[in-house]
Amino acid sequence: MIILETKGLYHAFKGLEVLFDVNFQVEEGERHALIGPNGAGKTTLFNVITGHYHATGGQVFFKGKEVTRFTPHELTRMGMGRSFQITSTFGRMTAFQNIRQAVLSKNKIRFQMFRKLDKMQAITRETEEMLKRINLIEQRNIPAGMLSYGKNRALEISMALATDPDLVMLDEPTAGMSRDETRTAVELIRHLTEGKTVVIIEHDMDVIFSLADRITVLHYGRILATGTPSEIRDNPAVKEAYLGEMEY
Amino acid sequence: MRTKLTRWLFWGALTALLLLLPFLLNFYYLNMFIAFAVYSLYAVTLNILLGYMGVLSFGHAMFFGTGAYTVALVLRHIEGFPLIPTILAGGLAAGLLALILCPLLVRVSGTAFAMLTLAFSMVIFVAALKFREVTGGEDGINIAAVPPLKIPGLVSIDMTDKIHFYYFAIAVVALCLYLLWFYTKTPFGSHITAIRDNALRMDYLGFNLAQTRAINLLVSGTFAGIAGAVHALLMKLVSTVGVLDINTSFKPLMMAYIGGIGNFFGPLVGSAVLHILEDVVIRFTDRIGLINGAIFILVVLFAPQGLIGIFQNLKAKRSAKERS
Repeated sequence: MIILETKGLYHAFKGLEVLFDVNFQVEEGERHALIGPNGAGKTTLFNVITGHYHATGGQVFFKGKEVTRFTPHELTRMGMGRSFQITSTFGRMTAFQNIRQAVLSKNKIRFQMFRKLDKMQAITRETEEMLKRINLIEQRNIPAGMLSYGKNRALEISMALATDPDLVMLDEPTAGMSRDETRTAVELIRHLTEGKTVVIIEHDMDVIFSLADRITVLHYGRILATGTPSEIRDNPAVKEAYLGEMEY
Repeated sequence: MRTKLTRWLFWGALTALLLLLPFLLNFYYLNMFIAFAVYSLYAVTLNILLGYMGVLSFGHAMFFGTGAYTVALVLRHIEGFPLIPTILAGGLAAGLLALILCPLLVRVSGTAFAMLTLAFSMVIFVAALKFREVTGGEDGINIAAVPPLKIPGLVSIDMTDKIHFYYFAIAVVALCLYLLWFYTKTPFGSHITAIRDNALRMDYLGFNLAQTRAINLLVSGTFAGIAGAVHALLMKLVSTVGVLDINTSFKPLMMAYIGGIGNFFGPLVGSAVLHILEDVVIRFTDRIGLINGAIFILVVLFAPQGLIGIFQNLKAKRSAKERS
């Protein structure tokens, strides 16, 4: 079953066209990697799908429903989670408070103003469990802005996942990480996204070929190819445009 | 255990002090204390926007003034209107104003929010000044007498008595402060600070930013209105200068900054400092603004976290020293 689909998607910034006729499909349960050179429009595609921008043309479908003009919070409530390329955590709030915010969202606690948050034990427990799973329990009282880069990234990814979405959109989760951090992050992603649909933008080929079930290559705003990792590796057009100099 | 005991002792001592205060101070200082309490509440409502949601309201006086004018108008035109509903009417009217303005105000932040609130408060200021038949223009409206506090079937407490009024005003302010403090501790309060920290992330966590901001604006406006209502009863005169002018918007801002916007009780400290200072300075010179301004500049330059921030830093340093 197709969980996410774009039909003839166009997007332009003040006349600068970034996406042309993008027909992108994600099957339920797969890990789908979105790759392409810098400026190919990967993040823009993410922003259009997740409602940050509204497409200048075309349609977006999520779970069979047209969501082209939906806002991020509406899409999140439908079960779409997203992480950002540039770390976007609550800098002045502690790791615990960051995750708790996501846990509150998951439990649909949006307008509760008659109970003290500290006294909501179920929320605290769930948050602590998540912190343990992502190995941040020792840093629970450190503000996100003061965590190490790798830990803050882990927090970023976990927040997208703590709302328990059906579809997770990860925008370069390992950007700027060291080799070791990348390995840990990939394990974390694999572990946390068990049974979920994942769309992931990534540059690191090792990460892509070890994580992805299918790959879509975006090139100058157009989809160049979609297929399994081996199909993509052997695709001549992709080789020329992107994998070119790399040895695979 | 010890911390719990100290906390109980602290609140016990504070309550005792507040109860005994009328017997320790003369009427002049008692009035000053009520003014301090009212402005503390007012500054806290401003800080709910400034410190917690991260938007600067340059025209908070419109809520304070609406509360005050509502009280004056109600007491002038409706005979025998009871006391508690009078106060509530003040809060409600200010809340209504916030409700009317929020569709515009929640869409902007930063400088635009400051300018919009300033603009709206100026509109209301001029309207109150020019609409003489209703508001009395510069002369304002007199409140002949504060209505008695009637508890049906039980008692009727005379509020023209200074000491009675003191207890009543302090009780109202304390209750409001408690409610607001509680509010900041709820999940909703947490959403507000999270929006301040990273609005985009909150959107992507499934929170409706506009709705959340609007409710917070409503809460802030309503309680500012209640502060204005008590202020009107204390001063017994409501006129544009004093409840609606730009100075009334700036005063709580200075209090919040001087006390510290990062802490719920910061504005209380700021309010205390400014009220004490005013009392001292006025013995030497009329130029209170000069002194207030100088202190404001010093705090912004050297203690951006306010006086409470200085205190917290010292505490953190000391505990760090003890640990090492």
